[in-house]
Amino acid sequence: MKAKITVLLFSIFVAISGKISAQEENNIKLSGELLTDQRLLLRDNNDWAWNENRLTLKLDKQISSESKFYSEIWLRNIGLPNAVHSSSLYNKGIIDPYNLEIREAYLQINGFLNKKIDLTLGRQQIVWGTADKLNPTDNLNPYDLEDILDFGRKRGSDAINLQYYFNYDFSVQGVFIPFFQPANMPVGIFADLLNPSIAMPQGMVLNNFSDTLMMPKYNLGESSTVGLRFKGFAKGVDFSLSYVWGYDGLPYSSKNMLTPVNMNGETNIQSELSFMRNHIIGVDLATSIGGAGVWAEAAAFIPDQDMVMTTDLSALYPGSPEPVTQDSVLLKKNKPYIKFVIGGDYFFADGSYLNLQYLHGFVHERGSEGLNDYFFLRYEKTFFNEKLKITPIGGGFIVTDWGDINENYAIAYLPEISYKATPNAEITLSAAIFDGKGDHLFASLKDYNMLMLKMKYSF
Amino acid sequence: MKTNFRTAVLTVLIGAGTVCSAVAQDATTILQKMDEVMYSQKDMTGKNKIILIDKAGKQEIREATIQQKGTDKRMFRFTAPASQAGIAFLSLPGDVMYMYLPAFGRERRIASSAKNQNFAGTDFSYEDMESVPFSQKYTPKLIKTETDAFVLELTPKVRSDFSKVTVSIHKEHFYPILMEYYDRGGNKVKEAKYTFKKIGNYWNPAEIEMTDLKKGHTTKMQMTDVKYDTGLSDDAFTVRALVQ
Repeated sequence: MKAKITVLLFSIFVAISGKISAQEENNIKLSGELLTDQRLLLRDNNDWAWNENRLTLKLDKQISSESKFYSEIWLRNIGLPNAVHSSSLYNKGIIDPYNLEIREAYLQINGFLNKKIDLTLGRQQIVWGTADKLNPTDNLNPYDLEDILDFGRKRGSDAINLQYYFNYDFSVQGVFIPFFQPANMPVGIFADLLNPSIAMPQGMVLNNFSDTLMMPKYNLGESSTVGLRFKGFAKGVDFSLSYVWGYDGLPYSSKNMLTPVNMNGETNIQSELSFMRNHIIGVDLATSIGGAGVWAEAAAFIPDQDMVMTTDLSALYPGSPEPVTQDSVLLKKNKPYIKFVIGGDYFFADGSYLNLQYLHGFVHERGSEGLNDYFFLRYEKTFFNEKLKITPIGGGFIVTDWGDINENYAIAYLPEISYKATPNAEITLSAAIFDGKGDHLFASLKDYNMLMLKMKYSF
Repeated sequence: MKTNFRTAVLTVLIGAGTVCSAVAQDATTILQKMDEVMYSQKDMTGKNKIILIDKAGKQEIREATIQQKGTDKRMFRFTAPASQAGIAFLSLPGDVMYMYLPAFGRERRIASSAKNQNFAGTDFSYEDMESVPFSQKYTPKLIKTETDAFVLELTPKVRSDFSKVTVSIHKEHFYPILMEYYDRGGNKVKEAKYTFKKIGNYWNPAEIEMTDLKKGHTTKMQMTDVKYDTGLSDDAFTVRALVQ
């Protein structure tokens, strides 16, 4: 068996080397962007809400006519100085926070082993789905939720990605991601947005909350993700069927241990956070009807096992011979929930563009009962040969309870003006205005209305 | 006498009918010959330099590579400026169009209504960028014969933003020299000036200068490194090729 694997690996190595060295070309292209993204709150003293200065470097080397290497790196200064003590002044990382991120770094070989097979190896973004940014079927890369207003952004995954083309119209894609990477959470003023509120039992007050993340074990069986997608084009319709067996990148609370601190009811909670593995079956399509672009996408999430939250109250009953626990089933193994999106767009002769989407189930929502309805609309118009773009209408309307809309809704209004000062320099001025009632993510942003300025230079 | 008069009128009418038919036939033939000149090659590859010139004369330059097979398969990929490099468009039969944005990471189907719009900020529409023969889209009428050119009036066969297009066609080589586009109110809104050069057996539009008369904005599209009939495979016109 070991010998067979060695032979197989050797064959793959020979195939890769052959493709790469076939016609070595010295074609290296370095490009990138310089971006500054500044946001300030539209209240009181106009506190700074976001400070990001990003240098994106893209290296694209065409190795041969059939292979290339591509990498994308972010070098960023993000956040504001967080100096509290004098010792902070000795730490540049606190005064001037920065980070380096390898977004992508992969080798792509077209016609690998067979002219109908493409292989992409390394850190890569694998985007599935036909909808506009909101893709329920896109579940391979971990969510990058750092900037909650840039929803849909993902990080690259270290993956083996093989695509086999039956012909020009039909293909099948297999993806293997050896280890699990969780989503990264929002930062800055958005940091607490995705943290669930904690409902304490009657008579108790939360004193301290701490948690432990229960990561899957890093071995092939437990931490890997597998994806399979069949893609086709027939009768003017692009469609695909997909399957993913992988983890939800956002953790859930699997165990909460309550410990009383004093007689006033103050209680500490120690929580264990786990990641749920799902079977995800997806379907999507896109076509053009009467000049309008139309798309639809749906994904059924089937938990690999019951998602249970155990509350341990043993510390409250010290005399009890048995542990006192209470189990709540959050999601049932045999009860799938479906997220979907339906949308369309239209280009008008005067240079304006309309985009509409209805989404059932946002990125962080789970379970049939927990999925909300989102209506997104964007109308934009370009002027002066696309130098100036105005988006007077952009944003969404969210309903969290159709039975009581007046108390359970959210509105996000995101108008934007962007101007290309030179072919490579773009300035964008936009606003984010939120309103709503209830405990929805966007409704809770109503204290964070902001003005945003972005400047981007491409080179 | 009355009979003779009737015969004479009938003869004149038949004669006029024959002349009209001959003129219509000629217009159709001329337009078909223009289509042959423009679209007879099996395939074409080349580089495209796009010069945008605004009212004040300020210029912006974009560069792209272009591949075309037959009249209904085309791949257009921007190579400059940096902000647009890598953006690619694939046009396939049946109004199927895809766009690839590197930042997006995947292909995106484009609504066919995009055909009404200007192509990537130029004065050319997506429709102008297509290779659908004119004789398929328009009904021609010969309105004038000049020293060097036939002038045809083209009426769209299906609903269009233009009420008519007039085209001057070179008498000897049958390539277009000038096209003028009229809106539904009969106003001239766009004009395209063509400069053709012979490459091998084919006449090549070395430069097309399209002017939007309302905006006073001009786009020059210059073709270089043009190669015809290199045996381009259909593989080059697939979503697989678009995203690579």
